[in-house]
Amino acid sequence: MNGPQQLARPLAQRVAELPDAAAPSGEDNPLPETVQQAAFEALARGETHYTDRPGILPLRKQAVNWLGSHYGLELGADEVTITCGATEARFVALKQLVAPGKHVLALSSSHYIEAAAQLLGLSLRQQVDDFSGIGVVYLTAADDPELVRQVLDQAATTDCWILWDTSVAPAAGLHPAHHPDLTGRVISIGSFSDALPGWRVGWMAGSKVANKLRAYKQSMTICSTSISQWAALGLAEL
Amino acid sequence: MNLTNPNIPEDVRAVASNGTQLRYKMMELTVQYPDAIALGRGDPDLATPAHIIEATTAVIRQGRTAPTPVAGLPELREAVAHKLQRDNGIAADARNVIITTGGQEALFLIMQVLLDPGDEVLVPDPRYTSYDEAIDSAGGKIVLIPTDHADAFNLRPEAVEAAITPRTKAILLISPSNPTSGIITEERLRQIAEIAIRHNLIVISDEIYEKFVYSPWKHFSIASLPNMAERTITLNGFSKSYAMTGFRVGYVSAPVNFIEAMAKVKAITTGPAATVSQWAAHAAVTGPQDAIAEFHRIYSERRQMMMDGLRDLRLDFSEPRGAFFLWTNSSPTGIHATELAYLLLKEGHVLIFPGTAFGENWGGYLRISILQSTDLLREALTRMAPIIARYRANT
Repeated sequence: MNGPQQLARPLAQRVAELPDAAAPSGEDNPLPETVQQAAFEALARGETHYTDRPGILPLRKQAVNWLGSHYGLELGADEVTITCGATEARFVALKQLVAPGKHVLALSSSHYIEAAAQLLGLSLRQQVDDFSGIGVVYLTAADDPELVRQVLDQAATTDCWILWDTSVAPAAGLHPAHHPDLTGRVISIGSFSDALPGWRVGWMAGSKVANKLRAYKQSMTICSTSISQWAALGLAEL
Repeated sequence: MNLTNPNIPEDVRAVASNGTQLRYKMMELTVQYPDAIALGRGDPDLATPAHIIEATTAVIRQGRTAPTPVAGLPELREAVAHKLQRDNGIAADARNVIITTGGQEALFLIMQVLLDPGDEVLVPDPRYTSYDEAIDSAGGKIVLIPTDHADAFNLRPEAVEAAITPRTKAILLISPSNPTSGIITEERLRQIAEIAIRHNLIVISDEIYEKFVYSPWKHFSIASLPNMAERTITLNGFSKSYAMTGFRVGYVSAPVNFIEAMAKVKAITTGPAATVSQWAAHAAVTGPQDAIAEFHRIYSERRQMMMDGLRDLRLDFSEPRGAFFLWTNSSPTGIHATELAYLLLKEGHVLIFPGTAFGENWGGYLRISILQSTDLLREALTRMAPIIARYRANT
C-alpha cells in the first residue's frame, strides 16, 4: 500500500517542509507509589471512560493551587482545561488566537513553537523592536526577566495575547498576569511531563478566552486520557 | 418546525445551530438532575474488559510508560495492521498505521494533512458534526450528501456523484452511522468506489462502530476493494469496540506517505498517544475477543427493547442496522426536536440529543442511545411516554 501521487500533493505544499517537532523523551522507570496507587484506584473505580471535557475537577484544582502558590494567581478551576501535554495547549492557543499571516514573538524558547507556527502559517519573530502585526507573545521562565518586563510593557499597548509556558523552565516569581494592563489576556500553560513522561498530561489556564480554547481542544481530542489524569492527580497530591 | 417555545432557555437557543456545542450544552444541563437517565453521549456504559485492565495495571507496575514514537508503539501498530488484514481484508503493514489520541484526533489530523483551503469533502447528512469542525479547521468546505429515512439512511451513489465538483477532494463515509445507525451496504460501497476511482477522489472511511452490526447486515471495508487501499484513509479506534473511551486510542490506516505526514503534524499538535493507553489497546487487539461478542449480545437485546418501546409510543425510527442509536422521527409531536429534547430533560429527566445536534436539517428527529441497562431504558421510556403523548395530543 504505497501512496498515490494525489495523496502526496498536500504534503509537498504544507507538511513535508515543516521542521520536525521535538518528540517527548523519557525512559521506562518505576513510578512513585502514590502515582501507581492513584492509577490503580481509578482503574478499580472504572474510570476508563470519557472524563468531563475540561478534565477531572480535582486535577484542575491542583493546577489552580500550583499557580496560586508559585505565582500568587487567583484563578477558578473553571478556567483550567487539561490537555494532552503542553504540546496540545500551545497548538490550541496559537491556532485560536492568531490569524494566518500574523506574527508570534518568542524569545529564548522559540523552538517550542516554531513548528506549530509554521503549520499555522504564522511567522516567528525574535526581536522586540517591532510589535506591529504581533498576535501572540510566547514567554517562559527561561527568558531574561528584564527583557520579559520590556516585552510585557510593549504588549500592554497592543491587543496581543500572552502565552506563559511554565512547562519549559522552573517557575519564577514573575508572571505576566500580574501586569495591570494585561488582564484577561494571559494564558498559562503547564505540564506533568517532567515527572510523568509518556502520560500526556498538560493544562492551560486563565484568560477571557478560556472557554474558546477549551472548545477547540475538545474538537481535537474530546478530553485527555482518563487514567493519565488520575495518575497526574496522584503525583500532584504528593 | 421552528424553535419557538419561549421556555427554551437562552443558553440552549444560543448554541442551537452548532451541533457539537448543543450536545455539550445538553450534557451540562443534565448535571442538575441527579436522577437523569443519559441516553445522549455515545460512551458505552459497559465495563472495559478485565484483561485490558489487568494489562494496564501490569504496565503501570512495571513503569513501562516512557513516551512512544509519535506514530505509536511499534507493537501496537503491528497488531493493528494484522487486525486490518484479518478482520477487514485490508492489505496493511505497520508502516500504514498511525496511533492517535482517539478517533476524534484521527479525524482532525486527516483533514489537516489532506485538505488545501477550499477543498470540498462530501459528507452524508445527518452527520457527526465534529466532521464539520475538522474540515473547517483545515480550511476545507463540507458538502452535504442527502440521505433519507425511506432508504434507512444508506448512502446513494448517484447522490454522491451529483455533488462532485472540480474542488471535491474526498468522500467521507461512516458505516455504521452516527447518528442514524444505518449502514452503507457492500453493493453501494462498490459503486461509490467506482465513482472515487473515476473522479480520482480520496475516500475517508470512518469505521469506528464496525463491531456492532446487526444480523442480517454485515460490515464491509471499502479499502479492501481492488485499487482502493491506495486512495482510502480508514479511521477506527478502540473506544467503542472495547468500551474504553477514556483511554483515548484511535488509529488510521492509509498509504505510507500519508501516515508519515500525519505523524509530522501529530508531533506538532498533541504528541504521541499516552503510552499506558497504547499498551491497553495492544491488550485489547491481541487478547481474547469474547467481550465484543458479549457487548454485541447486550446491545442487540437493548436495541430490540428500545425498538419495541418506541413502537408503543407510536414513534417511527430508521432501522438500526448497526451502532448504538435509534434515529427517531419526532415530528408527530409537532414541536422542534431541540424543544422536545429540552422538555424531555426538564420534565422527564431523560437526556436525548435532538436531531439538530447532527445537522441543521434534522429538527424532526431525536438520536436515542441504548447505552444504559435495560431497566434504565425501560424507565426512560416510561418517563418519555406522557410527554410525547401530551405534545402529540396538541397537534
